[in-house]
Amino acid sequence: MEQDVQLVQQCLQGDGSAWEELVRQNNRRVFNICYRFTGNRTEAEDLTQDVFLRIYRTLGSYRSAHGGFATWMTSVTRNLLIDHYRRTKRDRATDSLDDAMPVVENKESSAKRPDEQALLGELSGQVQNALTRLSPELREAVILRDLQQLEYGEIQKILAVPEGTVKSRINRGRIELARILQQMGVRSA
Amino acid sequence: MNWTCEQTELLLTDYLDGLLSSAERHEFDAHVNSCARCTPLVSSVTHALFSLHSLPQIEPPARLVYNILDKTLGPRETVTGWAAVRAWFHGFNPQRFAYGSVSLCAMFLTVASFTSFNWKKPRVADLSPANVYRGADRQAHLVYARSAKYVSDLRVVYEIQSRLQRSDELPNNQDSTTPQTSPDKNPGSTDGTAPVSPKQQNRANDLGSRAVVLAAACPVCSEGRIR
Repeated sequence: MEQDVQLVQQCLQGDGSAWEELVRQNNRRVFNICYRFTGNRTEAEDLTQDVFLRIYRTLGSYRSAHGGFATWMTSVTRNLLIDHYRRTKRDRATDSLDDAMPVVENKESSAKRPDEQALLGELSGQVQNALTRLSPELREAVILRDLQQLEYGEIQKILAVPEGTVKSRINRGRIELARILQQMGVRSA
Repeated sequence: MNWTCEQTELLLTDYLDGLLSSAERHEFDAHVNSCARCTPLVSSVTHALFSLHSLPQIEPPARLVYNILDKTLGPRETVTGWAAVRAWFHGFNPQRFAYGSVSLCAMFLTVASFTSFNWKKPRVADLSPANVYRGADRQAHLVYARSAKYVSDLRVVYEIQSRLQRSDELPNNQDSTTPQTSPDKNPGSTDGTAPVSPKQQNRANDLGSRAVVLAAACPVCSEGRIR
């Protein structure tokens, strides 16, 4: 954490190599959050670039006293993902598609390249499909808790909601995910 | 306390994350084990959680970092021609590179000379694995044969030296070495050993005479011992 703060300080002083180090250390984490949220590699790649662009522009607003750099960065990622979701939802609505999100996202996820599916593996692909069928509120809560292994306090800061709401969303997200997996015929071993 | 299905659903995350007190956990377990509706719920959510935890981390594409750096810091300068070659060599440490090159050449020369590579008339065929192996095998046999011959020659020289030493000592002790008749032993027999046959004696004499000839031919022996 101290190393991150030091790198941020160096970046703010115009040190390009510090920024490069910061990008190298964190791009995997941001990319994974984006990928798990969208279920699409290309979109995740574009979104990761946008996230770092935003971080680069707003790095001066980061205050280490308010939390770790990773939490702040995840918060920026989450805000951008929600913006992206709303934007694409509007686009989908103008295309006169069904507004029901699970159906739309199921179509998206089924349009994945075959090599991508093979890469993920059967079970991983099914779980990813089920994840993208969750509502964005539940999906982000589940991703942060169960994939990024964040504590409730950190998730509370990122989502800017009370801890009770965080717990409730995680709980509902898990139950909903289990229901979708059952519907898809994914049985427990 | 009467635990309900709603409580089970509400506190499922706390249960799975180990946040329930032991009393609550006990009641939770007791209810789930006896409730036909809650048993599959807990089972399926546990499985979903396990599936989520088993999802692998996805490796981002390698170009991602460069794209981000290009978008934020601006495109990197691209050098071409001699500047690119110079930049490529700039990464080398000259001393280490020179030391490495010399070591590599020395190793190559050693291996090549050991495989009887002809430096005057180098051929590509000499570098084929079969020819390299054949050359190395031949060299190894040659080295072995030379070593064996060297050891054999040394043995002959030492034998000559020892015989010459004995012959130097003979005139001084001639009286004492004259065989005396032993009263309790038969003439011609030694102590507990078989008598030397005439054939063996002749061979020894013959070897002795050859040794003298060899010693005369050997400059070291002729200077040091034979005067």
